[in-house]
Amino acid sequence: MTAPTRSSKKRKQDDEDEALVASNNINIEMQSDEEEGEEIESDDGGVDEFPEIDAGSDEDSEEDWGNGSDEEESDDEEDGANGEGSDDNSQEDLHIFPTAKTIVSDITGQEKRVYPEIEPEYDSDSSTEDTPNRVGDIPMHWYDDLPHVGYDMDGQRVLKPARGDELDRFLNTVEDPTSWTSAFDKKAQADKPLTAEELDIIRRLYANENPDANYDPYEPLTEWFTGKGKEEIMPLTAAPEPKRRWVPSKWEHKKVMKIVRAIRQGRILPNKTKTTSQPQFYAIWNDSSVSHAPPLPAPKPPLPTNSESYNPPEEYLPSEEEKQQWKEMDPEDRERDYLPQKYSALRLVPGYDRFIKDRFNRQLDLYMAPRVQRVKLNIDPNSLIPKLPSPASLKPFPNYKSLRVIHQSMARCVSVSPDGAWVVSGDESGFVGLWEVNVGREVKKWKFNGKIGSIEWCPRTDVTYFVVGTEDMLHFLIPPNLPPSVLQLTQSILAPSTLPPAPEIPSPVKWSTPSSDSWTDETAILTVHLPPSSGLTTQLTWHRRGDYLASVSIGASQGAVWIHQVSRRHSQAPFRKVRGKVQLVLFHPMKPYFFVATQQYVRMYNLSEQKLLKTLQPGIKWISSMDVHPSGDHLIVGGYDRKLCWFDLELSDKPYKVLRYHTRAIRSLHFHPTYPLFASSSDDGVIQIFHARVYNDLMTDPLIVPLKILRGHEITKGLGVLQIKWCNRRPWLISGGADGTVNVWCS
Amino acid sequence: MASSTASCSVIFTTQTPYPLPTQKYMIPSIWKRFHLSQLINKALALTKPIPFDFLVKGELLRTSLGEWCAENGVGEEETLELEYIESVMPPQKMSDIPHEDWVSSVSCQLKSLSHFITASYDGTVRLFDYSQKLVFNTSAHAAPITSLCMIPEPQSTIEIDESSHLIATSSHDLTAQITRISLPSDATSKPQSEPLARLHLHTAPVSSIASNSSGNHLLTSSWDTLIGLWDTTVPTTDEVAELPINERERKKRRKLNGGTGGSVVKRKAPTMVLKSHTARVSRVVFGISDNEDKAYSCGFDSTVRIWDIENGVCTRTITSSEKPFLDIALNSDGHTALAASTDRTVTLYDVREATSSTTSSGSLLHSTTPSFFTGAYDGVVRLWDLRSMKSAITSFKAWSDMKKVLSIDWKRGMVGVGGEGGFEVWKAVEDIRS
Repeated sequence: MTAPTRSSKKRKQDDEDEALVASNNINIEMQSDEEEGEEIESDDGGVDEFPEIDAGSDEDSEEDWGNGSDEEESDDEEDGANGEGSDDNSQEDLHIFPTAKTIVSDITGQEKRVYPEIEPEYDSDSSTEDTPNRVGDIPMHWYDDLPHVGYDMDGQRVLKPARGDELDRFLNTVEDPTSWTSAFDKKAQADKPLTAEELDIIRRLYANENPDANYDPYEPLTEWFTGKGKEEIMPLTAAPEPKRRWVPSKWEHKKVMKIVRAIRQGRILPNKTKTTSQPQFYAIWNDSSVSHAPPLPAPKPPLPTNSESYNPPEEYLPSEEEKQQWKEMDPEDRERDYLPQKYSALRLVPGYDRFIKDRFNRQLDLYMAPRVQRVKLNIDPNSLIPKLPSPASLKPFPNYKSLRVIHQSMARCVSVSPDGAWVVSGDESGFVGLWEVNVGREVKKWKFNGKIGSIEWCPRTDVTYFVVGTEDMLHFLIPPNLPPSVLQLTQSILAPSTLPPAPEIPSPVKWSTPSSDSWTDETAILTVHLPPSSGLTTQLTWHRRGDYLASVSIGASQGAVWIHQVSRRHSQAPFRKVRGKVQLVLFHPMKPYFFVATQQYVRMYNLSEQKLLKTLQPGIKWISSMDVHPSGDHLIVGGYDRKLCWFDLELSDKPYKVLRYHTRAIRSLHFHPTYPLFASSSDDGVIQIFHARVYNDLMTDPLIVPLKILRGHEITKGLGVLQIKWCNRRPWLISGGADGTVNVWCS
Repeated sequence: MASSTASCSVIFTTQTPYPLPTQKYMIPSIWKRFHLSQLINKALALTKPIPFDFLVKGELLRTSLGEWCAENGVGEEETLELEYIESVMPPQKMSDIPHEDWVSSVSCQLKSLSHFITASYDGTVRLFDYSQKLVFNTSAHAAPITSLCMIPEPQSTIEIDESSHLIATSSHDLTAQITRISLPSDATSKPQSEPLARLHLHTAPVSSIASNSSGNHLLTSSWDTLIGLWDTTVPTTDEVAELPINERERKKRRKLNGGTGGSVVKRKAPTMVLKSHTARVSRVVFGISDNEDKAYSCGFDSTVRIWDIENGVCTRTITSSEKPFLDIALNSDGHTALAASTDRTVTLYDVREATSSTTSSGSLLHSTTPSFFTGAYDGVVRLWDLRSMKSAITSFKAWSDMKKVLSIDWKRGMVGVGGEGGFEVWKAVEDIRS
């Protein structure tokens, strides 16, 4: 109990000195720790580490503990320094070192420590030991270039100990097995063998292991939170849930409301349009990235050829003339931009003078290369063409011009007799010619006033006559050289001796026959006078029985269409009012139907029931021609806008097929009465022949095959082939053109 | 040069009366027809040189032998068989007689060598002599005449009269007519014509008329699918009654005839009607030599029919597809017939009885008249050889600017060409038939 008080007193007395001493001591001790090593350390450590060994000083130790860890060191030193009192004994027992006594010096009058004399024992003799140099804690490299390593206590130089020469060192390595595990200690100026621990550390560092020998990388994992029964038993923190977790933040609320107000007042524009003013550049030849399409493969530079070799075979070398020629050529015209040259060895090859240019051209190639990779559709163009039978298998069809009959002016209309032997053709100067199909010799000629607008042969086979439509009039003519029986019958039909009774309602159309005395071959046996100013009769069409004849005139807007009945010598206008201007009319070949084509529509009427059946919409701006298939189920309509529409009458109001192959307006169309053929003629002076097979089977579509283009008509005044007619019973075609020729095309 | 030394081995054959011994010749391949012809002339030591033409595999040699071999892919090792024929001189124009109308038919078959007869579309028959002078013309029909033939007069019936000719014409007016033309030898009296009989059968234009070699029968073909067989005796009365015509017609007829009611041409009926064609008959001809009792016809129904005249039945029908025939001509031996059709071809048919028919090529090569003339609507008359059918041997253009050739007659080295441009006479090789 006394000791602590004393010590505390002393502490109060020599506060400053002790502090200094303590600091000195510490420094010294630290030095000694480093330099001297184990002896001191082990001693001190023994005291520090094992305080419980001191059995007699329980209290003391307790008090030491109670003073706190901060003052422990100073206590120890004080203990050492004081070294007096009852406690000293106990401490002396422990301390091996001689304890110093502090005495007042006689000379200076100052306190000084006096150590007891060392009794020379066996142990105390240190003469055999190496004296460690005591140069102090200085950087040893100061003395690297000097013979000494520092100064001792007396100011004398401490010389570097003699180092053995290389031979000694070598011998050392041979003889001393520990020499390779020793290292030069600069402070000691000697080789020190490394301890086993140090070697172990070196080995671990060398093996990339943790240098701490006690470290176990494969420690078993302590499972605190996982495993059965331990789930969330132990929260990470025991703190209660903070309030902010469940109370909405007022600050955030304010912030949001501020934004909302700003949006309401229009200070913030939501969904502002993103303007990417900066174009996005990227390296197209580089690696792919997410933001843009995969890069195009760079165009490959051409591979070097044999002639580019430094030592090409002889055949690649140009001759002198070729060289000269190459030099004279324009660089752009040269087949290759170098001259093959031969060197006997690679080392003779000069520097490549065109390197920069080549690189530049390569960059230019890359720069100019297409940026878009064109995906080529690998479609054989031939496979897109529909499979059509070859025209050779669809013979016969007309394929050459057999005859040419020349008119003075435009041959506007032609017609073929029902037996296919005779043709009548009319032209604009009023001439009608009758000629045989096979020879083309004009047998008879009639002259009328004004243009011939249309001409049509009566389809009856027992009588023979034809009708010529001119301005406001229809003329019925009988060809010459008829058998008497046919002639008689024809005459009796056209000019019966007893005229049929006149209709109740007087018709504006007048039928007139000259008296039988004045009948000649030159004049018409019957003339029908249409109402005045009805204009040129542009179309005549017969009913298949040959009794009804329909005529279309261009002049009259209303009443342009008349249906004439020859046996009753009566004409009637089938339509009281027609919307649009009638272009063409046609009788259905089987049924009592009547087709009327206005400029854009084709209407189909039932004549017996007197009602409109359907309106066909060809989609043509101006219909120019129309013909009905002999089966009556199909209709073709041609227009001035080059289109040809094929209608399946049972199918739809819309065309089954629209063909556009003529380069100018279509003028005329005609189905062959017996052969599966139809032809179209156009203002481009061309006639096109088609194979058109129609099946009775409703499921099979009609087969249309283009067969032949007949050229031979010349275009005059912008008009080409004005009318075409098939020859009955033969696959021959008669065409009348604006150039005044009527051609026969034979198979 | 390699080409000059190259040679072909050749064997010469011929049907001409100038045979060479059968032997292989090595001929330089640059030789042409002229060299070969010279070779044969020298080899035979002919006093008067005869030009020859050479046929190689059915083709007339027009180039050098080497070129022909190269063109046809014949190796130099092969032995060529060259058939040589007497070459045909290109025809030369002798006279050109323009007509007012198209000439539909010509005949050079007059007994007197110096006359040609033409029938025209204006219904007129014209007679010319060598000096292009119109000797005589007569209007035979009111309508175009389609065909004309000479009727050889039977020696027994009528006295030999060099100046009298019997002709038959067919016309668009549905009739044919037999006309006698008498040409007095002295210049003072005028030539006269006398219509003898009018043949009434057809109800459509008569397309052709033909007479047999003895002159006692005629054949007419018409557009109404009928063929009429007639004898040439002149009837004394109307054999066909005139159709009852109505009042107006009779009045008109009476007015037309007026005072000349006396000499009305007698109407004649056919002895037989051959009925089998289904479309227009374009030409009918009699058989030649021992086939006199046969008739051959062709028509627009793409058939060639062979008729037994005595029985009036069709014995054989040759049908082709889509070839409307325009004309038929018999070979001189009567075994084969050439038929021209509208598809611009001339086809050779074997017209013998089917039972007796063997391979036709053998008879063809031995036939004596392997050549024939064709006239076309392009105005070109071509001479063909049956052994070289790839191209015509020679051709000439009758008229410029595509005037149609409508009729050809070839007799005694003369080719009469009638057509759109009138009538022309060309000098050609001798017709071997005569």
